Amino acid sequence: MEERIIQLINADIDGEITSSERQELESVLESSADARDMRSELLKLNNLLDSMPMKEPPTDLSHKILDQIKLPAGKKTFSLAGLFSSFQPVTVGVAFAAGLLVTVSFYEMIPGIGVPGDTAGMVGTMVSSQARTTQAVKNDIFLEGDGFSGTVSLNENAGIYVLNFDLDSENRTDVQVGLGRTGLAFGGFAEVKGNADEVMNSVAISGSTLKVQNLGRQQFAVFLRETHPGEVVDTKSITIDFSSNLDSNYQGEPES
Amino acid sequence: MGNNRDYALIERCQRGDRRALEEMVGHYEKPIFNAAYRILGNPDDAADTTQVVFMKAFEHLGQYDPKYKFFSWIYRIAINESINQLKRVKNSQPLDDTEVAGTRGPDATVEADDLSRDIQQGLMDLTEDYRTVVVLRHFSECSYRQISEILQIPEKTVKSRLYSARQSMKESLRARGTY
Repeated sequence: MEERIIQLINADIDGEITSSERQELESVLESSADARDMRSELLKLNNLLDSMPMKEPPTDLSHKILDQIKLPAGKKTFSLAGLFSSFQPVTVGVAFAAGLLVTVSFYEMIPGIGVPGDTAGMVGTMVSSQARTTQAVKNDIFLEGDGFSGTVSLNENAGIYVLNFDLDSENRTDVQVGLGRTGLAFGGFAEVKGNADEVMNSVAISGSTLKVQNLGRQQFAVFLRETHPGEVVDTKSITIDFSSNLDSNYQGEPES
Repeated sequence: MGNNRDYALIERCQRGDRRALEEMVGHYEKPIFNAAYRILGNPDDAADTTQVVFMKAFEHLGQYDPKYKFFSWIYRIAINESINQLKRVKNSQPLDDTEVAGTRGPDATVEADDLSRDIQQGLMDLTEDYRTVVVLRHFSECSYRQISEILQIPEKTVKSRLYSARQSMKESLRARGTY
């Protein structure tokens, strides 16, 4: 039988025949008993093969597969975006910052890099601001996950916003703070002395995003300033992303 | 599973997301196992090969080029590994008897088992090249184009191998009285 006819018959039973080829095949089948026999035989074989059921893999196969695969050192992330929506006024007095300021060294924030700066200036500013009022706003978020725990709180007093981080992570965790269109900009970074690792060695700012690497117990504060004093600040739009090599999911929720 | 969906899962896997890995394994485990089984003719070897396929695929995930379908990529690994395994165990193990061994059921079941066995034996009688295209076409339901991508051979070659494989298989099954 001609190669062309064999090709048409096979393409037909495979469902890969074009309309013009189908017309051609129909014409051949009308005139050739051999072609009809061949088509019939191939169709029978086709049906036999296609009638074979899929075999079920051993029940433990997927577990074996999953157990042996070590994924690349990827990162697990979660975001605290929107969690500051419950930002509520509370009376915290000077305490919220006082404890921090006693033990921190302050670094002035220069966009693009983090470098040691004038400690005294910022301490003075903070104390001075708090001295004017005891009415502040505060919002705490408690974090808990395998090998990771901590709190993040957002405080505001007289137009000075401070994000306080108290984190403890077994693995290196990247913390990324995004200010986007919050109406806030980074104004400073403070690190509690005695941290397990030097936070300041791993602070980077790019535009409205700040990245910090955390390992072990670390306490630090990010100072935010209003980009246009007097205008509305949208704290709901502050995002804080955490990513680490841990497999487990973190859960972040407002502290009750 | 579409390639976009696959690629999204791969990206999640690359970030260490084991749930994405579970989804990928859940989707591809059975078809890969079946392709390996039909090429090897032995479920134990097929299970071992399936494990190796996934291990290699995820070890070399960084080499996967998203221009191509993940489906084609993992099937290519599966076919290559099955053929490698076949070479290792060639002639050392009998064809799987598990489907017909043990308690005999009703006549219809026995007939189905016999038919399945004959068809598998018919496949094993084919050369590796022929068996591979038949398995991909009939047991993995791949198109000519997909087979061409998986085996990295022209479609024309896929067609000619398939036609010849069918002729051989017809004769093999006829000799057994199955066809």
